[in-house]
Amino acid sequence: MAFALQVLMNALSLGSLYALAALGIGLLFGVLKLINFAHGDFITVGAYALIVPSAATQATLMIGDFHPLILIPCIVAVVVILALIAEFLVFRPLRSASPATLMIGSFALGFVIQNILIMIYGGRPKAVGIWSDLSLGVELMEGVEVPKLQLIIIGVTLVLMVVLVLFLTKTKYGVHMRAAAEDFRMARMLGIEANRVIMLAVAISGMLAAAVSMLFVVQTGILEFRMGVSLMLFAFIATVIGGMGSLVGAVVGGFAVGAVSILLQTFLPSEMRVFRDVFVFAIVIFILLVRPQGLVMSRASRERV
Amino acid sequence: MLEVKDLEVRYGRLTALRGINLSIKEGEIACIVGPNGAGKSTTLLSISSVLNPTAGTITFDGQQINGTRPEDVARMGVSQVPEGRHIFTSLTVEENLQVGTATRRDKPEMKRDYERVIETFPILGERRRQSAGKLSGGEQQMLAIGRALMTSPRFMTIDEPSLGLAPKIVDRVYEVLIDLRKSRGLTLLIVEQSSERALKAADTLYVLRNGAIQLAGKASELQDGKAVHKAYFGFSDDHEGEVMI
Repeated sequence: MAFALQVLMNALSLGSLYALAALGIGLLFGVLKLINFAHGDFITVGAYALIVPSAATQATLMIGDFHPLILIPCIVAVVVILALIAEFLVFRPLRSASPATLMIGSFALGFVIQNILIMIYGGRPKAVGIWSDLSLGVELMEGVEVPKLQLIIIGVTLVLMVVLVLFLTKTKYGVHMRAAAEDFRMARMLGIEANRVIMLAVAISGMLAAAVSMLFVVQTGILEFRMGVSLMLFAFIATVIGGMGSLVGAVVGGFAVGAVSILLQTFLPSEMRVFRDVFVFAIVIFILLVRPQGLVMSRASRERV
Repeated sequence: MLEVKDLEVRYGRLTALRGINLSIKEGEIACIVGPNGAGKSTTLLSISSVLNPTAGTITFDGQQINGTRPEDVARMGVSQVPEGRHIFTSLTVEENLQVGTATRRDKPEMKRDYERVIETFPILGERRRQSAGKLSGGEQQMLAIGRALMTSPRFMTIDEPSLGLAPKIVDRVYEVLIDLRKSRGLTLLIVEQSSERALKAADTLYVLRNGAIQLAGKASELQDGKAVHKAYFGFSDDHEGEVMI
């Protein structure tokens, strides 16, 4: 029982990170039909923004030293501004191009960001310790101790998901965004400003990336210029198996990928654990063979004629 | 109110419209009829600035439409109910109507317009919290018209309102459209494949075939149908007997 609870918490907290990253990707895919492969690099930049920009092997905290109430808005601002710059310089000029061109553009942007990070910070991984007391354990019940951070990751994810749902269903701009995601041309014919709705989606996607940056870097304690890439890859897989174009699907997919990873990590014989991802991807291929439309069918694809 | 001059639209090598002219006066109901592929939808999409014409101009109340964005045209007071209705199926009925008010700030008027739409189509009121994807075809057509009305348009274009609907529901849709002109002074441009119903509703009729206007005139003067038939099919009734089977 205690063991099962521990595994569950591991799965939920990893799944939360994937779900948050997948939501950021799914939101942009909705309005722009862009699979933003630079999303992972947005996450990386959010983490690097904590330290003083220098190539020194020893990281010195800058924003990371601020009080959390200042630190969090600062990191969010950095990532949102980066995302908006990407929109102006890359995505907007490519908007009328095919989705494939946009996707390749986002790949290129990702590499540019990674190389700028190497130029500024150097290519070696750096240790960074913020909020390290969060890794201390909390006793959930007799004999079950989980790091405080896991509870925070799960809690933050839940709160952000609730806020996002409220925004999308209860506010005017949220309803506009859902309309634009389903039928962009029709939304424009009714007077919805294309640029405004896209910029809003880009900004929200940036906020979600910033949240992942902070949670992830506190968990790993390491800065590395490719740290967001594998996260992005798993989040992308989450959106695909969840069902492209469905935000619920992105979340379900995120938790599914997290759960599968943790279960394999826990139950695979130790000499096979190094190959964990092989099994994860095998399961992904299997799911796609059985349900090519994804676990959650997006409502747009059920449209009546 | 709406002037279309020498409008030409090409899709790559294909020419969809070869220089058409329309002149629609305030308060009238104009109809464009024509067979499949004549360029009817292309005309309406150009008026909404979704398509960019290769040549010619479109002006609304003297303001140029071609070269602007679809959202600008909506703001000018031109609304479209497109072919296939394009309801937002993942939104509720109420949210669909709400999207129609995207450009507006006049809250009390918006509320009044909402009530008027519900009054015209009571079924939308009953189903306002339901997902729009669950509506029947006829209800979706009503929602599409209601949504267009929520933009508070002065000019509305409707692409094949009778497509895929039962005759009884088509009657109801036309009843509503004719009433909209009377109650709101709305100017309408209706596109249809069949000329029969369009002739009854329209003040002015345009027959479009092969991307060109074959015939234009007052609907009242075209009632005998022969000229319309010739314009529509490209040959007159008398030749029918000569068609070899």
